[in-house]
Amino acid sequence: MGDSQYSFSLTTFSPSGKLVQIEHALTAVGSGQTSLGIKAANGVVIATEKKLPSILVDETSVQKIQALTPNIGVVYSGMGPDFRVLVRKSRKQAQQYFRLYKEHIPVTQLVRETAAVMQEFTQSGGVRPFGVSLLIAGYDDNGPQLYQVDPSGSYFSWKASAMGKNVSNAKTFLEKRYTEDMELDDAIHTAILTLKEGYEGQISSNNIEIGIIRPDREFKVLSPSEIKDFLEEVE
Amino acid sequence: MSRGTGAGYDRHITIFSPEGRLYQVEYAFKAVKSAGATSIGVRGKDCVCVVTQKKVPDKLLDQTSVTHLFPITKFIGLLATGLTADARSLVYQARNEAAEFRFKWGYEIPVDVLAKWIADKAQVYTQHAYMRPLGVVAMVLGYDEEKNAQLFKCDPAGHFFGHKATSAGLKEQEAINFLEKKMKDDPQFTYDETVQIAISALQSVLQEDFKATEIEVGVVRKEDRVFRALTTEEIDQHLTAISERD
Repeated sequence: MGDSQYSFSLTTFSPSGKLVQIEHALTAVGSGQTSLGIKAANGVVIATEKKLPSILVDETSVQKIQALTPNIGVVYSGMGPDFRVLVRKSRKQAQQYFRLYKEHIPVTQLVRETAAVMQEFTQSGGVRPFGVSLLIAGYDDNGPQLYQVDPSGSYFSWKASAMGKNVSNAKTFLEKRYTEDMELDDAIHTAILTLKEGYEGQISSNNIEIGIIRPDREFKVLSPSEIKDFLEEVE
Repeated sequence: MSRGTGAGYDRHITIFSPEGRLYQVEYAFKAVKSAGATSIGVRGKDCVCVVTQKKVPDKLLDQTSVTHLFPITKFIGLLATGLTADARSLVYQARNEAAEFRFKWGYEIPVDVLAKWIADKAQVYTQHAYMRPLGVVAMVLGYDEEKNAQLFKCDPAGHFFGHKATSAGLKEQEAINFLEKKMKDDPQFTYDETVQIAISALQSVLQEDFKATEIEVGVVRKEDRVFRALTTEEIDQHLTAISERD
């Protein structure tokens, strides 16, 4: 990908062996809105805060949780515009896989290819790393899966994870509440409670987003009325 | 031992600063304000109206050539706030993209698709060092068959949102405060109300009463889906209605 004038990498090693641009990118992620994901025995849930800069913004025009394929969804913490670029590239990669193999791309492969793109931007000429961390949730023949991908391009599979402003409190909360045999509906409740923990202000069906995937392998983003039902169950 | 500000280039090109910020993008926002003008956009029930100041710095200039309001297609308009040269470049590219879309797919480009394209282009400039971000905030307006009246705002950072009302430029924050109060209960304004709210917001925030030649107004409405700039007479009518109301 090198840009003509900039055929040198902007991300270079510091004397102590660190890649500072990646560290700064992680700082950008850490100041983004909190998001989290939980892998249950029969599905995966991902959720995020949706705080808009003003009441004048039309909240129906914004969707932070996006589907990459019918059975894989993604949420982010960090810079929205960078996220859009990654969603577009990942969707294209998934389609290219399907065109070649006539099979839907397995979750691990899509995660690997997305992570490879993010790594390229830490080494190519004239570009900066992506300022987002992704939580990719999917359900395929290997069951429900949840992966986190960082700006460096490294990725890990998680049982439950959180990113963004409230990451440490959220992770502590999740560590306490997580059980291996959790059902998806319990996981959704736990996700809502975790978001509520760090939320500044009143949580409602219009200022959070939740995406789920059940054994039917269809990723869907919950509508505000569906979120409302879950919120009421949690109260 | 890593030094605090890295190599010091974080202010010159769009790489991350130690706090995880992009200084060049933040400076681009400042450039939008430095142009000195303020713009307002309001979405009513079935219409959208955008208003901006028409500052003609020199009496010798041909007034008709000074404009920030650009039709992108017959049905979509763009109000550019900030550096005029960057605005022209953006408008040129947007017109090209809209025309290609129409040719390729056989139907007019929807407003949100164009807004997303503009925002994605802006994102590229924030990630690639070879091009600086544009010093323009673009308000895109149009009437969509499925989603009715639409108003989008795209900024140098690559963000874009749909808005019920919004503002850009020097007095952006004051205007947003004014509009938040007016739009609090989600009112569904008629065409005349929309235009008058937009103009009176500008007047209130800049604390001056305008003559019809000092502002530009662009509208799109359900009854007449073509994007139009209002004539001086029409602007005058609305200004009179506002002053009679007060």
